[in-house]
Amino acid sequence: MKRKDIIESGILEQYLLGELDSSKKLEIENALNSDTELKNYFNELEETFEQLGQENAIKPPLDVKTNLLKSIKNNSTEETIINDTKSFELKTLLTIAASIAAILLIGILWTYSELNTTKKELQIVEDKNQILIDDLNSVTENLETTTKWLKQIISPNSRQYVLIGNKLSPNSKVISYVNNVDKSVVINTKELAKLNANQDYQMWADVEGEMINMGIIDTSKELLAMTYIHNAESLNITIEPKGGNDHPTVSKLISNVYLEP
Amino acid sequence: MSDLILIKQLQNKDEYALSKLYGKYSPAIFGVIIRMCKDEAHAQNLLQDTFITVWEKSHQYDPEKGRFYTWIYRIAKNKVLNFLRKSDQLIQSEDLSVYSNKEDEITIDSEYLELNGSIKKLETHHQRALELVYFEGLTHREAHKEMDVPLGTFKSYIRQALQKLKEHYSKTLVLLIVLIDALR
Repeated sequence: MKRKDIIESGILEQYLLGELDSSKKLEIENALNSDTELKNYFNELEETFEQLGQENAIKPPLDVKTNLLKSIKNNSTEETIINDTKSFELKTLLTIAASIAAILLIGILWTYSELNTTKKELQIVEDKNQILIDDLNSVTENLETTTKWLKQIISPNSRQYVLIGNKLSPNSKVISYVNNVDKSVVINTKELAKLNANQDYQMWADVEGEMINMGIIDTSKELLAMTYIHNAESLNITIEPKGGNDHPTVSKLISNVYLEP
Repeated sequence: MSDLILIKQLQNKDEYALSKLYGKYSPAIFGVIIRMCKDEAHAQNLLQDTFITVWEKSHQYDPEKGRFYTWIYRIAKNKVLNFLRKSDQLIQSEDLSVYSNKEDEITIDSEYLELNGSIKKLETHHQRALELVYFEGLTHREAHKEMDVPLGTFKSYIRQALQKLKEHYSKTLVLLIVLIDALR
């Protein structure tokens, strides 16, 4: 369609008034886009139309504008409120979740710290307990030993013999308790004179003229059990080289006592 | 502020821009709506409805394709025509008592709706032709029958009427420019 034809057909006015169907509308829009002069003509047409409208304007009541602005505000407010509500719900849920997580975390940390403290305390108690057990064991052992010695010493079957040192060891004194029923010998070494480091006291029993070894006297212990020898006639103490001897050195005999039959 | 900036702001959902554009265009559009539907209350609702659509569909307006006024005019015209069609359907489906009420509904003083300005200076048939398509919402095809002239003649009426209006507006503009120059 030529420009003149378009103008004379009156189709531009129909386009302007919105009377055309979509295919015709598109046709006119294309023509306007490709023809500047036609576009200018159309612009003038539009201007005239608008001026005609403005000349015949009627002022609408103020209510319409108020309602219009209220209505678009309501729509956008509703959206905002919905969004706000959603975000509020989300925020609330997140806050609750965060709070629970925080409480749980604090709880776990507290429990962990308490557990550590308890473990440490338990360790201390265990250590103390071990010390006490050790002490108790030691005390019990001591008690048992003491009780054993005491039983033997105070037993009616026990006899006390005192070995007094001769001129080789004049200050020495050993008290011995012989129990022929329990078959035991216990001695008190408290008053034995100190020896050189390479010497030991050794005790012997005389059985029908033969000296039988009763053991080395450990002077670090106050009370000491010696080997009981059946049918011993006397008890003898000699000074021997460190670690004891197989046969007594008679020249080093410091004391002896005869036993009652 | 130029319309293009306001329109851009409107397209970005700026209520202030809507308020300004409403201020500028609503009286002309209301003039069209009220003459088309001839009912004050309905015209007010339709005007509000038109500008709600302007607000909601502002992104569809393309300044390259035409003036903002033309775009709003088409929206308003469609709304009124749809409203009138629905009213007609209601009248046809309801009993005669409703139909008889139709005349009572037109309560507006006809002087209030009379056309003003340059159009009054046109010849009667030019005035009538423009009034039918512009202010009463008739299509060219409906309007030429209404005026009882061939479609080609009717189209000529419209073209001639617009040409005369344009000349008149140009004269007014020249006169204004001369006046402004003289006042300097």
